[in-house]
Amino acid sequence: MREVVRVENLSFSYAGGVKVLDSVSFSIYEGEFLGIIGPNGAGKTTLIKLMLGLLEGFEGKIYLFGKELKKFKEWSRVGYVPQRVAIDRFHPVSVGELLTSVVGHERRLKDLVDFLHMEEMLSRRFTELSGGQQQLVLLGMALSSEPQLLILDEPTAGLDIHSQEHIMELLRELSQNTGKSVVMVSHNLGALFSNADRILAIDRTLRYEGSVQEAESILAHLFGLHRE
Amino acid sequence: MELLQYDFVQRGLLAGVLIALSSSLVGVFLILRRLAFLGAGLSHFAFGGVALAVLLGVEPFLFSGILTLGVANLIELLRRKRRIGGDVSLAIVFSGGVALAVVLLSLSEGFREDVFSYLFGNVLIVSPYELYLSTGVFLITCAFLLLNFKSLLLMSFNEEMAKVRGIKVMVLNHLFVSLASLVIIVSIKAVGIILASSFAVIPAAAGIAVAKSLRGSLILSALISVLSTVSGILISLHFDLAPGGSIVMVMIAAFTLVVVFKRLI
Ligand SMILES: Nc1ncnc2c1ncn2[C@@H]1O[C@H](COP(=O)(O)OP(=O)(O)OP(=O)(O)O)[C@@H](O)[C@H]1O
Ligand SMILES: [Mg+2]
Repeated sequence: MREVVRVENLSFSYAGGVKVLDSVSFSIYEGEFLGIIGPNGAGKTTLIKLMLGLLEGFEGKIYLFGKELKKFKEWSRVGYVPQRVAIDRFHPVSVGELLTSVVGHERRLKDLVDFLHMEEMLSRRFTELSGGQQQLVLLGMALSSEPQLLILDEPTAGLDIHSQEHIMELLRELSQNTGKSVVMVSHNLGALFSNADRILAIDRTLRYEGSVQEAESILAHLFGLHRE
Repeated sequence: MELLQYDFVQRGLLAGVLIALSSSLVGVFLILRRLAFLGAGLSHFAFGGVALAVLLGVEPFLFSGILTLGVANLIELLRRKRRIGGDVSLAIVFSGGVALAVVLLSLSEGFREDVFSYLFGNVLIVSPYELYLSTGVFLITCAFLLLNFKSLLLMSFNEEMAKVRGIKVMVLNHLFVSLASLVIIVSIKAVGIILASSFAVIPAAAGIAVAKSLRGSLILSALISVLSTVSGILISLHFDLAPGGSIVMVMIAAFTLVVVFKRLI
């Protein structure tokens, strides 16, 4: 299988802080659904931001589609859904405006809107939508450039069970039917274990990398934090 | 209304409308980037610059304009490096500028009046040169916003999503604060240092509070701003009042009306 991301001996600390990530190495392959888990403050968001080139000053190597991060320019191949926080609740932008700001073609816009059933929302303010609807819009924005790699940071946090299942179904469909690699950070272990192909457990260092089944059985030893 | 025939009135109205348009459009993005205080901070900083320029005998607008441009970019740099939040740097710059002006003013009495004229400004005494300046800034504003609308929209929504899409966020941020300082500098001429920020904040706040989209906010902000400016100037002529204060009071009335009206429907 082709490698989409390769991370080698990645270490990182925020300015003046202690190491948040320590010698982390792993790969992400074409078409796989990778779940990333770990306790709060484990460095999951940091890891994702490093892979996306949003943080500077790390040690080690990161390759995207075979190119070293510094030289990587084809950002349309990557879609990113950030942790749904820090959006001003007075921001007036409408869903339609958000989507047209990222979608090149009218056709593509229509496809996306149909795919995610967003017709009703287009003329509404993003901030007036429910959490689940907002997450759909963010997903739509990330999908707009038809990325081969989709990276999502806790896309189901704070959603009810139906919205969670809806999002998970969409992601599963995307990874199975379109060959996209999906990388998802989540504390929602149930959803990850029933949808992901592979699990990465992080707590500053890489604690586990492997199949879902095995992850499930040794999880208690890894953290003891995620038991329901 | 025979006053409308006078050159200075026509010039004042035109300059006022151009400044109103520029600052109301830039103001929407300022507020969305949580830099609503930028106008107040930079214009008061410019006060120190003007005092220094008058004391040194150089052109005050150019001199304080360049200083202000520099400090605006410094604030953006500090914000980016996450050293100091924009609101904190602005508070420091605000008081620093005023402190400098006060100290310089205490040095000599001779130039006080020159400096004080900048505190309140007067859109009815703009020179042709200042009208060109306002036109230039207006054209730059329109070009910048039209060319970068999608990027600015996305950046105001979430900078990291913008970065991942390959948008040159850092460059655009610096260009944007530079544009904002130009706009502030020209509005000092119209309404003075103390009120300059109102042009960038009040109409934009109304637009953001009421409209259903970013585009709608921009249009509403521009509309309120232009209508308030024109009616403020006419009111000031008719009743012989200070134009700057009249414009701002009309703006606040319009803001209140719009927001109350929105509540009712
Ligand atoms: N901007 C920052 N500056 C300094 N330290 C930071 C910053 N962001 C995160 N950290 C620290 O880095 C560590 C990892 O944070 P990170 O956000 O990556 O955790 P996470 O695994 O995503 O946690 P969560 O599950 O709560 O989202 C934490 O100890 C956090 O305090
Ligand atoms: Mg996180």
